[in-house]
Amino acid sequence: MALPQRRTDIGPPHYKDFLPPVMLKNYGDWKHHEILNPGLMVHVANSGDKVWSIRVATPRLLSTDTIREFADLAEKYCGGYLRWTTRNNVEFLVSEEKNIEPLWKELVEKNHMMGGIGNRISNIVHTQGWIHCHSAATDASGIVKALMDDLADYFTTRETPNKVKLAVACCTNMCGAVHCSDIAIVAIHRKIPKIDHDKVKNMCEVPSTIASCPTGAISPDPARKSIKVNDEKCMYCGNCFTVCPPMDIADPEFDGVAIVAGGKVSNLRSNPKFSKLVIPYIKNNPPRWPEVTEAVRLILDAYIAGAKKHERVGEWIERIGWEKFFKVTDLPFTFQHIDDFTIARETFRTAATFKW
Amino acid sequence: MEKEEVKQKIYALVEKSMGKKKLKSSDIQKTVSAEAGISRDEVKDALKDLIDDGKLIYTYFGGSFVEIPPKE
Amino acid sequence: MPRKYETPLLDELEKGPFPSFVTEIKKAAARNDMAADELGQLEKSYRERRGYWKHGGIVGVRGYGGGVIGRYSSLPEEFPSVANFHTIRINSVSGFFYTSKILKEMCDLWDKYGSGLTNMHGSTGDLILLGTSTENLEPIFAEFSSRGWDLGGSGSALRTPSCCIGPARCEWSNIDTLDINYNLTQEWQDEMHRPAFPYKFKFKTAGCAVDCIASIARADCSIIGTWKGTIAVNQDEVATYAKNGMNIKEEIVDMCPSGCMSYDGKELKINDEDCIRCMHCIAKMTKALKATGEKGATILIGSKAPFVIGSTLSWVIIPFIKMEPPYDEFKDLIRKMWEFWDEHGKNRERIGELIIRKGMREFLEFIGVEPQPQQIKEPRRDPFFFWTEADLQK
Repeated sequence: MALPQRRTDIGPPHYKDFLPPVMLKNYGDWKHHEILNPGLMVHVANSGDKVWSIRVATPRLLSTDTIREFADLAEKYCGGYLRWTTRNNVEFLVSEEKNIEPLWKELVEKNHMMGGIGNRISNIVHTQGWIHCHSAATDASGIVKALMDDLADYFTTRETPNKVKLAVACCTNMCGAVHCSDIAIVAIHRKIPKIDHDKVKNMCEVPSTIASCPTGAISPDPARKSIKVNDEKCMYCGNCFTVCPPMDIADPEFDGVAIVAGGKVSNLRSNPKFSKLVIPYIKNNPPRWPEVTEAVRLILDAYIAGAKKHERVGEWIERIGWEKFFKVTDLPFTFQHIDDFTIARETFRTAATFKW
Repeated sequence: MEKEEVKQKIYALVEKSMGKKKLKSSDIQKTVSAEAGISRDEVKDALKDLIDDGKLIYTYFGGSFVEIPPKE
Repeated sequence: MPRKYETPLLDELEKGPFPSFVTEIKKAAARNDMAADELGQLEKSYRERRGYWKHGGIVGVRGYGGGVIGRYSSLPEEFPSVANFHTIRINSVSGFFYTSKILKEMCDLWDKYGSGLTNMHGSTGDLILLGTSTENLEPIFAEFSSRGWDLGGSGSALRTPSCCIGPARCEWSNIDTLDINYNLTQEWQDEMHRPAFPYKFKFKTAGCAVDCIASIARADCSIIGTWKGTIAVNQDEVATYAKNGMNIKEEIVDMCPSGCMSYDGKELKINDEDCIRCMHCIAKMTKALKATGEKGATILIGSKAPFVIGSTLSWVIIPFIKMEPPYDEFKDLIRKMWEFWDEHGKNRERIGELIIRKGMREFLEFIGVEPQPQQIKEPRRDPFFFWTEADLQK
């Protein structure tokens, strides 16, 4: 069968072709919204019109079967209109109030999980992992599944002092805003790359490989027409591997994950902030990474116990101080916690004020 | 300058640097426009033709480059 | 029939209440060879604790330098159906809106030409078609583009811009995020499809400082809606919040970062001149408070993940700019920034890294923006600074 005529540079379809009529009619003219339950909110327009959104968790990786199931439900109850959120949830956009209950009921019957709206844990932003990425030091989807199973109540019902945004990055390239999340997991290597010198000649450009190194650990190896890595300088980031594939850095025995905490992207109350290192290393323990879920629980429980209403994890930690954070969580403080990269001196305590 | 001539200059430049240095689209635009005394848009347009015809291709090695397709 | 693999480790991830990605892969694997081998290879990764994908190379669709990410199994003999298993990035719709009709059409095409697996969505906001063979790339592109879809960005190019839901459903949006996103995407198709930048460039547009799209952390250019004017207070609604149990002093007034609010139990007062527009009070009392006056955006530049010099958040370049179609002032500014980057940027150097390397002065002078205290947290501490000849004449 002949293929249709290809077109180039047409860009994406226009969004207005995909908005439900009620959103098109009240575009830019919304008055307020209300969270009716953890999986349901209503937006009210100045005209008095309303649109209800039911939020459903997905694992981000979806088969066409499940997408068709979502499409069928949207057709049955929402005039065919639905959207995805930036945190991989589906939102059914309901224009008629009478459709809320039957849609909810059918979602429950089909074992879907509604929630994530308001002060609780929403879905986890994450990366490709072993499923499809060349530089993954762990599997993001597996950790997400294990974490969300453990924290399911916080998605569907239970509240936290404010939103808790979780993220998982399968290497330090950090696709996704892992560096500014309340609690995030980032996979790391701990051994220098192994160089396949024969392949370097054909596959790699020496200057860009050298430039890819944040610590200046890579230098030319003229004798071999290759490059070499200074093991005293290498911080195992793996950036060189992306530029020069014959620098394999994956190491099943020593790869694993670090946990960072206290970041946020919103400007609400306090400025956006980076997440900071709280646990430097946990071994990869597939399929369910129990040590990782335990560690996240520990930080989350301490936050829930200690934070004031509306404080995010980072705001709570800044109020009590990092020294107290390590005390209340009983997490070990190590050399890895003290910055020796590009902004080290900004992070040293230049005051005699701290807690015992 | 005729577009064909610009295309030849671009191709020659890419050919010459093969195996020495991977060229980015902007390297080609800068070099050829300076050498030929023409605008970057003219070079860009000629480069687009070469790519559309498959004479040159984009490659990716941690960054995007323009190269001659491998002979298979 | 697709190959069948024993997957005892992955099976563990079908247990528990949260929806399982393993179940998703298995659904596709029951009828699709590629998905079946993906499942097999993933089980091996779980067993051996390492990935088996190779990257890079020369795959793509004719004429484009992006939108397809080359991916190859490093175990092609063991898992032949994923020997090449490339990602296709489809440029999603502003706000991730879909209709059931369009989704089903996409599913039919993807089942015909690919693995039947997707990511909804990738971190940058593309609809990700997860894995197909090299020979299927052109047919997929023909099928999708003829139906009105185009590829997103990859490589050293403009990446698929994304935005928050904005005026489509949110009462806080100060700008038309969806239109800005659509307009910029259409304006710069060439920059997206024919990589000519030193490295990637991302736009993210947020309607307000809540920043639901994480623009300040993930975009080379963060467009964040804001206003110049007052916060209108509906005192009746304030009273209702108080009556319903909100402790307005503790939860609102005491948490205001600029201390510009007061509440005497009856009236909530805001000293608008001192307001820094963080959105906390508006977000917590959406029925009572509303931003009024001139609307526009703050433009911030430079955020990115840690490679190479460490993570950065975007910083203010333009404190306030009107954002109305056709956005010419904004576009001219961006073109100047790209010119600066083109002139000075090294391979794989993001624009923020370049500005840090060259200094803000050189950048601001090049794009024609005056120094303003809104651009910094604090002035420099040390007495080392440049004087140009022109400065000396002042």
